[in-house]
Amino acid sequence: MRKALVIQEDLIILKILERLVILNQYDCRAIRSINDLDIEDQSENFDIIISDILFDGIAPLDFVFQIQEIILHKSLIIVTNMGQKKIEKEILASKNVSGFFPIPLDMDHIQKLIA
Amino acid sequence: MEEEILKLLIQLLLITLIIIYGAIAYTMLYRKWRTSRLKIIESTFAKICSLFLYPNPNLEPNLIEIQRELKSVGIVPSKPRNVQYLIDLMIRTQRSILGVNYIKLKTLFTQIPPYGASASKLNSKKWYIKARGIREIYEMDQSQYTRDLIKLRNSDNIYVRREAQIGIVIFLGWKSLRFLPYLKRQMTLWQQIKIVEKLYDLYPVPDLNHLRRAYNSDRPYANELIMRIIRKFHLTEDIAYIIQFIDNPKFETREAAIYCISSFLLDEDQIGEIKEKFYNISNTEQQLMLLKYFQRISMEIDLPFYKDLLYNGNDSIKLSTADILWSNGYKEEVQDYYYQQYTQKANSDFISV
Repeated sequence: MRKALVIQEDLIILKILERLVILNQYDCRAIRSINDLDIEDQSENFDIIISDILFDGIAPLDFVFQIQEIILHKSLIIVTNMGQKKIEKEILASKNVSGFFPIPLDMDHIQKLIA
Repeated sequence: MEEEILKLLIQLLLITLIIIYGAIAYTMLYRKWRTSRLKIIESTFAKICSLFLYPNPNLEPNLIEIQRELKSVGIVPSKPRNVQYLIDLMIRTQRSILGVNYIKLKTLFTQIPPYGASASKLNSKKWYIKARGIREIYEMDQSQYTRDLIKLRNSDNIYVRREAQIGIVIFLGWKSLRFLPYLKRQMTLWQQIKIVEKLYDLYPVPDLNHLRRAYNSDRPYANELIMRIIRKFHLTEDIAYIIQFIDNPKFETREAAIYCISSFLLDEDQIGEIKEKFYNISNTEQQLMLLKYFQRISMEIDLPFYKDLLYNGNDSIKLSTADILWSNGYKEEVQDYYYQQYTQKANSDFISV
């Protein structure tokens, strides 16, 4: 089974994303912040990570680069409240992410990416 | 005797301390309990939403089950604070989701408790509860209450009527122009801007029939609102409406007209019309703004118009006109005017001698 990691502070968005991912035949780990990551997550190889970029103590762009190094994964999708054009441009320019969705968002776009 | 008083005082002090510590302990425990209750409500609601949007295959979402679940976590009419928390959660969710899921959530929210809780706030006597109710209704897109919002559009309280007007715009779109230009009370600049922006966000295709019917309104705020709409939607065919207010006796209406016209490129006839009205404007600042605008949009310099201003305007207008002429290569005209002042002065000196 494919593996997915969802990190969202907003519980409601987190749960909805979790359901969406599970229905697409993923084994899903859903957490609310990067502090909840444990040592086992680092040894996993996730097929997909759907994450926010706004966390305590780390700049959005740094987070995108660091998660690349810390957790093995095939693709990274960003879902965030911090959807300013400037941030989006910078993150997409870094070429590490396969999708950037500012909230409010249409889940169908994510479904297309993960199906 | 003194000893007894002292004992009494110590006892009093001890009792007060116990009461204070007790109160602190109670608040701490209560807060802890309350936060955990709210967390339970949030996670239940999150689970309900996620299962409603993405149910298990071949399993229809069961509304009665959902209602029962909410009731079990304390969403009952006798606990209005829990209900309010749930409403806030609903609004937050509705704001974060678009597309098909948005419509699904809208249906869900009409069918679970606290349906009617927002609508019943409209009957409250307190303005802040009323305004909050209206806001909840339009945030959750519960358009069945549009009539109630229309009734509140002229409310005594500025916040209630503001929210009601925004709600009307959200639900009725361009049709709201049947009401908005005929309100009993003034509308502030901020409110006008909010209405125009909401209209633009939600109904980007202009409905000229409803707009043009509103042209009959003679209320100053309505004129300004319509001009701002024409500007925002760039309705070039309706520029004449703005031009008629360029020399309006009211300062604010003129200001709005000049601001709105500045974002259009006009043809020669329209510029001519504004130039005729230019002389009727009593405020020099506004005249200067128009001069700058003329300079920006005209390809050629209208020499007779500028010369007239150079010789007959007031000092600021003269200075600005001279600047325009000079920077467009009409140095001679400016020089002529410059020297002509000296000859005039010399003549008057001569006479006074």
